[in-house]
Amino acid sequence: MAMTPKKEKLTGMYISIFLLTVLGVVIGVYGPAHLMPRSMSDNMHLSILTIVVFSVAAAPVAAGVYAVCLHALRHWVHRGDSVPAPAASQTREHPLAVTSWVLASTALTVFLLIWGLGALSVDNGGIGRNPLVVDVTGQQWLWTFSYPGTNVQSPTLVLPEGRTVVFHIKALDVTHGFWIANMGVQVDANVGTITEIHTTPTALGTFDVRCTQFCGLNHAFMVTTGNVVSKQQFSQWLASQSMKA
Amino acid sequence: MSIDTHNEHDAHGHGGHDGGHHEPPEVVDGRQRMAIWLFISGDAITLSALLFTYLYLRGVNTGGHWMSMVGLPTVGPGGHSYAFYEALDGSTGLPDGHLITQAPLSAGLNWIVSILTLVSGLVVWAGEKGLRATKNTRNFSAVAWVATALVVVTMALSLKQLHSIPAIFVAVNDSHTMSYTAYASTMMVIIGSGLVHLAILAFLGIGLAIRSARGAITGDKWFQARLVRLFWVWVGISAVIGSAVTTTINTIH
Amino acid sequence: MTTTLEHTQQAATEGGGLARKQNFVTALIGGVVFAWLAWFLAHHFLDASSRNYSDLVTTALTFGWMFGFWLGIGALNGPARWLIGADHTRADDLYYAGENQGRARYWKYCTDHKVVGVQYIVMTAVLLGAGGILAMAIRTELIVPGNHFVNQQVYNGFVAVHGMLMILALIVAVAGPWANFVVPIMCGARDMAFPRLNALSLWTLVSAAGLLLSVLAVGSLTMGWVVLAPIADQAGVGMDFFAMAIIVFTVSTTVAGINTICTVMTMRTKGMTLARLPIFVWASMIAAALGLYAFPFFSLVEAQTLLDRTVSTSFFVADGGGTGWLQANLFWLMGHPEVYVILLPAVGALFEIASVMSRKPVFSYRTAIAGMTGLAGLSILVWAHHMFTTGWAPTLGGPFMLTTELISIPTGLFFLVIIGTIWRGNIWMKLPTVWLFGFIFNFIIAGITGIYLSDIPIDNQFHGTVFVTAHFHYVFVGSVLFGALAALCFWYPKVTGRFLDETMGRISFWLVFLGVQVTFLSMFVAGFKGMPRRYSSYSMIFEHANFVSTMGAYMIMSGMLVLLGAVVRSWNHGVPSGPNPWQANSLEWLVPTPPPLENFDVLPVITEDPYNYQEELVRA
Repeated sequence: MAMTPKKEKLTGMYISIFLLTVLGVVIGVYGPAHLMPRSMSDNMHLSILTIVVFSVAAAPVAAGVYAVCLHALRHWVHRGDSVPAPAASQTREHPLAVTSWVLASTALTVFLLIWGLGALSVDNGGIGRNPLVVDVTGQQWLWTFSYPGTNVQSPTLVLPEGRTVVFHIKALDVTHGFWIANMGVQVDANVGTITEIHTTPTALGTFDVRCTQFCGLNHAFMVTTGNVVSKQQFSQWLASQSMKA
Repeated sequence: MSIDTHNEHDAHGHGGHDGGHHEPPEVVDGRQRMAIWLFISGDAITLSALLFTYLYLRGVNTGGHWMSMVGLPTVGPGGHSYAFYEALDGSTGLPDGHLITQAPLSAGLNWIVSILTLVSGLVVWAGEKGLRATKNTRNFSAVAWVATALVVVTMALSLKQLHSIPAIFVAVNDSHTMSYTAYASTMMVIIGSGLVHLAILAFLGIGLAIRSARGAITGDKWFQARLVRLFWVWVGISAVIGSAVTTTINTIH
Repeated sequence: MTTTLEHTQQAATEGGGLARKQNFVTALIGGVVFAWLAWFLAHHFLDASSRNYSDLVTTALTFGWMFGFWLGIGALNGPARWLIGADHTRADDLYYAGENQGRARYWKYCTDHKVVGVQYIVMTAVLLGAGGILAMAIRTELIVPGNHFVNQQVYNGFVAVHGMLMILALIVAVAGPWANFVVPIMCGARDMAFPRLNALSLWTLVSAAGLLLSVLAVGSLTMGWVVLAPIADQAGVGMDFFAMAIIVFTVSTTVAGINTICTVMTMRTKGMTLARLPIFVWASMIAAALGLYAFPFFSLVEAQTLLDRTVSTSFFVADGGGTGWLQANLFWLMGHPEVYVILLPAVGALFEIASVMSRKPVFSYRTAIAGMTGLAGLSILVWAHHMFTTGWAPTLGGPFMLTTELISIPTGLFFLVIIGTIWRGNIWMKLPTVWLFGFIFNFIIAGITGIYLSDIPIDNQFHGTVFVTAHFHYVFVGSVLFGALAALCFWYPKVTGRFLDETMGRISFWLVFLGVQVTFLSMFVAGFKGMPRRYSSYSMIFEHANFVSTMGAYMIMSGMLVLLGAVVRSWNHGVPSGPNPWQANSLEWLVPTPPPLENFDVLPVITEDPYNYQEELVRA
């Protein structure tokens, strides 16, 4: 058993790592952005960008592990039915490998953290001077939106483009989850407490509001639509609704 | 793995199955002591979860209802009219007043219960020391009965404490239901957990007394007495911790 | 059986009276009788006009079931005998260890750790099977939009019960069978530290599983497996069954955890230092310790739910000063550590398998222990990442994001250890190895999608969608179940003396592996598109992803059925394996197969760890 392990060429593995990394980066850059709903707010832009960045950062790690596995399956598998002999290399410790692995994963984590905390502070960033306040009420199984200062109550959510909206959210019966799928913001509607989120719509068009917290029988149907309109249209809509009421 | 089966290390030779059962009592005791300490750790987590519940609900004080139901709407969905009454001492009839803000439960009774629990633990501890010193199992049995009696008295007081938690009656039109404030709820689960522990102690106490009298615990094999004592004293300490928290931090100013 | 047993044989079969007749059937009879008795009494003495009436009666019934079941199986004999000072004799101990009882002992309150291990295998299979049937029902309902197969009420119940059954199944999937069957032998012990507690943990689990399986029959439970408050107050009496089942289950895991730790810490044979322990023993012990921390929160939160329903307390009722956030906090204080209670034994088993199958020592044994300990330690500090979008304490978002992302460092060490172990190995591609490679593939995907979710801006988009569902199914199915199946294939020959059928095993691997990719990758797609979780129906934009996902689920089911067929068939008809089919060095392979009662004739003395594969030391 005193045979020295013959130095095996790992070129193939390095090529696989490179190719798989490229594949991972391509999937990470195009996949999520292609699949996710159309971005209609600054928060959603940031969510998508963060997903892309994290995917790109994770691609080499996944590629490395997969390439080693592929290489192992091609070159290190014992052939035949007999019990394999002990491996030529009986390495128990490799301080350099362990240290560099720990350092690399720590560096990656620190990067993700810094990016994440930065993105979080942008997400939570200033509301601005003249936000629009919308009161959101969830109950089994419908949403009601009211606009303080007016007597408007609406089952659909209408928002003006380019103006920060602050949502004050509560529930009447059980916990619901208020989520605007195109705007990357969500928070629970709780009984007895008011929660708050804000976002700034950046694109015109319709979007869905869905319940993300299981709320009983018709949870799947607790959906409503919303519309981002120009500021002028918004004022008109508000006026027309108030006349009806 | 390299093993050496020819080594004559096993004093029990090829007795096979006897090996595990002829372990010296000290070894068995050490193992059981570790189990007791692990159990106490788990119980400590339960205690901290209970106190977390208590402090958390007091901290958030949802709608100002920690100790009060003042401010709830008197007209509910469907046009039902609501009225709230405090029922004192578990009486079932609707009292006259509209007293829907409760006072903290008696701190005195709370402390009496926990101090008594701790004292019963100390009694067992003293008994165990006596057993070790004098090897007198009859005395130890008597001490265990005394401690058990203390626990039974404590259980009775604890039940009284549970009974004194006021329910809030909610009269909806003609019928009524009852409810408890967050404070009353958390006190109920803390006292209830204490009662479960006291019941376990009563079981263990009776066991110690009977076993000691029948010779299953002897002066030389006093370990079981220590195992029980460890848990017993811990229950006493946890009761005192519970009282310390719930009698000092309760009302909201 | 060795000849030395004969003189005790007679004593073991004599006397004992009724206690000798107890088995699973008497337990069922006891459970049903006492459940009926409790129901009858509650029915007669409680005020039927109270709004809590049905919950109180149901709770009484569950208490009756538990008490009767434990009485019937014999779990209360030990405490009763302790109380009156009539301790077990040697003959009693041997009787309870199942000596000379053949197959009957598998239906009894048996204290032999190997019997308990096999009972756990069956228990896991039952739970996985029931949960799996529900999974298929869920996917069938979701095959096209609209409610066609079952109505929403039934569907919601399926989702909740599927979730909880599978969680319980995976908590016991590796720790149950293998921490019981092989850990004591690996340590060089004759049994667990507390054999009677071992039987207690198994049979309390069975009694709890009985309640949990009945939930669907008694009006279901319609609020997701986390049984979020306050909606739990709206559920039918199935919720009471559920809460009681969980409280009893936590008793079972606490007892099992204490037992595992004490076994490893105090029962090791001479020379078996902590540094020479097989890595699986470490994994079992760390997971047990973590469970000891986590499960008290679970029993408390379910007890509070039960109190809210039976005596109108206000823990989660806003009108009385309670809040659903309390439920969420307590639940996730348990819930996140619990993920690692599930994961760690599976990972430990895979370390073991990677080493034996690559004919190389575990790479960096200390790193493996550090990774597992670090993961366990961090896991108790991350619970609020399940609550990023609840609105609870937004200022704590940053700190919890930090602790959560730090978890990727110890998790990364698991990859290092496995990769380092197979590196330049002489890899034996048998069934356990195949599942090992499947695990590596899936665990990478689970890990990366976990990093997305740990980031609050991304979580604000994905929380509550099927993206989360897909992520944790890559953890639980793709990683833990693969680890559990690897462990099953690896230790099966030790239990039965026969190999698990290689061909059927391979077929099942490919069906399950590809099925997992098809099912959960398309669930990721639906999640990216924005489909919320626990939906009984969905809009047309999610149609294709759901259809494909359902097809994948059927593949997984076929694979699992093939595997079940292999397990049953090979039990008596498989290829004989001999005592040490993998030519491994840890102690469980050096005892005969099946291992005799009390495992060792003479306790071995250990001089080095089990990872020395130099040929001359390998025993035939």
